[in-house]
Amino acid sequence: MSGTLPWRTAWTIARRDLHRRFRGLRLLLVCLFLGVGALAAIGTLTGAIESEITARGQEILGGDLEVSIWQREASAEETAGLAALGQVSGGLRMQATASTATAAAPIELKAVDTRWPLYGTFLLADGRKAGAPPRGEAWLAQGAADRLGVRPGDTFRLGTIDLKVGGIIGEEPDRLGEGFALGPTVIVGAQVPAEAGLVAPGAMYRAKYRIAFPAPRNAQGVADSLRDRFPSSGFEIRTAERASPGADRFVSRMGDFLVLVGLSALVIAGIGIGGGVSSYLEARRGGIATLKVLGATSGDIARIYMLQLGMAALAGAAAGLAAGVLVTPLLGSALGSLLPVQPGLVIDPAALLRAAAFGLMVALIFAAPPLIRARSFPAMALMRERIAPLATHWRPALLPIGGGLAAIAVLALAGSGQKLLGAGFLAGAAAVLGLLFLFGIAIRRVSARIPPPRDPLLRIALGNLHRPGAQTGALVTALGFGLAAFVLLAAVETSIDADIQRTIPRQAPDYFVLDIPRDRIGAFETLVHAGEPKAEIRHVPALRGRILAYGPKGAMTRVADLAEIPEDAWPLRGERGLTYSDGVPEGNVVTAGTWWPADYAGEPLVSIDEQLAKALGLKLGDYITIGLLGVERDARIASFRRIDWDSMGFNYVLVFTPNAIADAPHNLAATIDLPGGARSGPLLRELVRAFPSSSVIEIGQVLAEARVILGQVGNAVLAAASVAVLAGIAVLLGAIAAARASRLYDNVILRVLGASRRQLLILQLAEYGLLAAVLAVVALLLGSAAAWGVVVHLFEFDWLPDWPRVLAVLGCGVALVLGFALAGSLPLLRAKPAQALREL
Amino acid sequence: MTSPPAIEARGLTLTLGEGGAAVEILRGIDLSVRTGETLALLGPSGSGKSSLMAVLSGLERASGGSLTVAGQDFAAMDEDALATARRGRIGIVLQAFPLLPPMTALENVAVPMELAGQADAAARARAELEAVGLGHRLTHYPAQLSGGEQQRVAIARATAPRPQLIFADEPTGNLDAATGHEIVELLFARRAETGATLAIITHDAELAARCDRIVTLADGLIASDSGA
Repeated sequence: MSGTLPWRTAWTIARRDLHRRFRGLRLLLVCLFLGVGALAAIGTLTGAIESEITARGQEILGGDLEVSIWQREASAEETAGLAALGQVSGGLRMQATASTATAAAPIELKAVDTRWPLYGTFLLADGRKAGAPPRGEAWLAQGAADRLGVRPGDTFRLGTIDLKVGGIIGEEPDRLGEGFALGPTVIVGAQVPAEAGLVAPGAMYRAKYRIAFPAPRNAQGVADSLRDRFPSSGFEIRTAERASPGADRFVSRMGDFLVLVGLSALVIAGIGIGGGVSSYLEARRGGIATLKVLGATSGDIARIYMLQLGMAALAGAAAGLAAGVLVTPLLGSALGSLLPVQPGLVIDPAALLRAAAFGLMVALIFAAPPLIRARSFPAMALMRERIAPLATHWRPALLPIGGGLAAIAVLALAGSGQKLLGAGFLAGAAAVLGLLFLFGIAIRRVSARIPPPRDPLLRIALGNLHRPGAQTGALVTALGFGLAAFVLLAAVETSIDADIQRTIPRQAPDYFVLDIPRDRIGAFETLVHAGEPKAEIRHVPALRGRILAYGPKGAMTRVADLAEIPEDAWPLRGERGLTYSDGVPEGNVVTAGTWWPADYAGEPLVSIDEQLAKALGLKLGDYITIGLLGVERDARIASFRRIDWDSMGFNYVLVFTPNAIADAPHNLAATIDLPGGARSGPLLRELVRAFPSSSVIEIGQVLAEARVILGQVGNAVLAAASVAVLAGIAVLLGAIAAARASRLYDNVILRVLGASRRQLLILQLAEYGLLAAVLAVVALLLGSAAAWGVVVHLFEFDWLPDWPRVLAVLGCGVALVLGFALAGSLPLLRAKPAQALREL
Repeated sequence: MTSPPAIEARGLTLTLGEGGAAVEILRGIDLSVRTGETLALLGPSGSGKSSLMAVLSGLERASGGSLTVAGQDFAAMDEDALATARRGRIGIVLQAFPLLPPMTALENVAVPMELAGQADAAARARAELEAVGLGHRLTHYPAQLSGGEQQRVAIARATAPRPQLIFADEPTGNLDAATGHEIVELLFARRAETGATLAIITHDAELAARCDRIVTLADGLIASDSGA
């Protein structure tokens, strides 16, 4: 007869008291549904996209392996080496400018051979299946056609030749693998760039070779052996397993961030869970006391009600998981072009398990305190009909709460690719919740000390904020977090948008021009100044190469031998822009060593970015080896520089003495700054006509696209944050339900004393209006402070929020809360006094 | 050889509240109840009858003194230990002793035996309900039963585990006279069948007269004891 009740017996008793439709536990169900559903949707969507990218790797990459080489095509030996691996499709990528008589557009030129595409199917917009365009024709992306104002059958100019628009691009199977482009795509035959005069020596283009293996083999092994065989060739190699690292990174980071936002929403839901469980167990005081009279110990009570709560939690989480899976295709459609691929209906067990684990741990953390309190309901409560306030013993709750919090933090960080950022976010969210909790306490205390208003309705409304049992603290925390998140997002988005719109254009040049022949720079400057006399032009020699080795002579480290490239040593990854200069580049400051004199003719020297030097532990006098057009070149480090990246001009990690690399074929790159208000259209067309082999990039257009992407990202994050507001509203409705009896009592007494329904409505308006006003102020303060920190310190932008928009977003959120609060309270106004008095 | 007393209380005190708000409910109760005895507890309102019953039945811990019930030292036990001690040994019937609303009559009666880990709880519950005349109400919920029927279920619940002691606090207080009479008859019948020691709080002199012994409380002390 001793010991805790066996689980089986506890379940026998528990299920008798558990309503089939979980009456009394619906707040728990709804909160878990929202929180787990959001996490399930985010996790499933992210996983689905990553799986899609992986599954379609060959199609996305356009081969099993891709080899890229800057500024030259493969040599005969290299070509033979690639051909020995399988079927090879070669081509070329470069920035160019297409034009008509009336328009010009920067484009990404994609030259392909007759074998393209090796994997997948290329479709034109009219449904035709196609490959490389016929001679004299080109396929245009719709964006290019729109900017040039052309349709299929029309003609446009590329470099020194005219091409006919053969069709509009529909589905390009390797679009994602091509990466970020500074303009819409135009696909041409492999011979076109040479015919158009775009690939003279020194031109900035990339030769691409995609290889399809005849039989499945280890692509990474092949890549490694290629690098070993051609160590100085400057090969950039990608395999189908990592066909689009850029998209991978974007999806992964976006997913991590949204999971953290969703987790914050789940914690808000946890407040609702705690409130709901508390109300549920309070309503069962009598039953608990009865069981204790009959011989149940506090441990037995804990088991019985933990089983009930567990069943409800599982039901809520299961419903959330199902909703999360079902909503994923809808989310995919809503996010549209922001996503690299469109996922269908997918079940990702790992993502669902993670979402469920988060949900159940949050339920544990918030349900533990009321459950532990319920264990202490005295049996004597029955005999004396005494409802005594129970002391809250926190020590027994520390283990489930502490354990749950630790498990959540570990699970969140384990699944995150950016652990430091994740830890920072969690700490920040915890700090905000803590602050809101303190705000809630402060509001209760302040409202209790304010001199009571004369108006009785206002007096009652104010009193309801601090009366015993008032849920002001929980509401300020739950609703304040969601509304503060709205303010944070709106302020960050509008501030960054303003920076892109106003500040960046002031600092950034109006045009970047690539591939200006060195012997025509004078003509270039003359042309620009003829149209815009006050235009400022800067130009630099532009080459591309990669860092192959670094360190003291005789003990250099080969980059290919590194197991992992340090985070701060990003210049070691892939090809870099290289330049040479007689003088210190504008915006750079020499921080160690000395700059070489003009006309220096000694040992080749290089000046490097001080951050890179620090990351690699380099000292003055060490050496750098670069691969430039397939040839290795060494230079001794003569100085370190601090680079002002905010200047948005030409900034190079490596600047060489002219005698180090000037002999390699190369062109110039230039920036053009127009005086404010200058029209850029005519200049663009003039440049394209006079310099057909150059490509002109309009910064305004790029920034406009960046703003579009920013807006889309902002919408995605706002959607995730909306779950927090919905969870807060669930908490609000739960609080209204919990206070129903006491509010009904108040209303009935007031009606008996002569108050009209209109006056009762005003009372509700006053009370919830006060609460909404308090919430608005708290959310505005906290959200703005957090946004300032993010914009100024994290992104290092200017603080330029659009306050009307921020206040509008906050206003919408507060109106939503107010609306739900009033809607939840309206049934109380309909109660008939006589009937209610009989029931009370 | 005489059997040990069912209840042995010496110097029992109960104080509720703290500091200036402390109230002495029981101020030194000495009471010994023989096994199988029926005991009526009388006294005016506030005399400490219910509190004495709460302490004797293990629902409340005494503030001082010693107390042995069914051979167990109740004074040394915490609330959980008292709950465990009650299982199967003590049956309680209260004036407003609520049945568990979401459970049927059968489930309500089975609960104390389930808590005690008795395997045949359902069968014994059925038998006990039939014994109290509610064999046709096994699957009815409390809301579907009359006041008298609910109290019959409560009695069945108290007696089904075959307890050594039964405590009843004004079991007919909420019932009309006729129903109350039936309940009293039932209570005594079940007690006789089980041989349990019965302690009953009542204002009904006729009911008190049916008991072997009448103890009257006043101001937290035993004012008179017919069995002393």
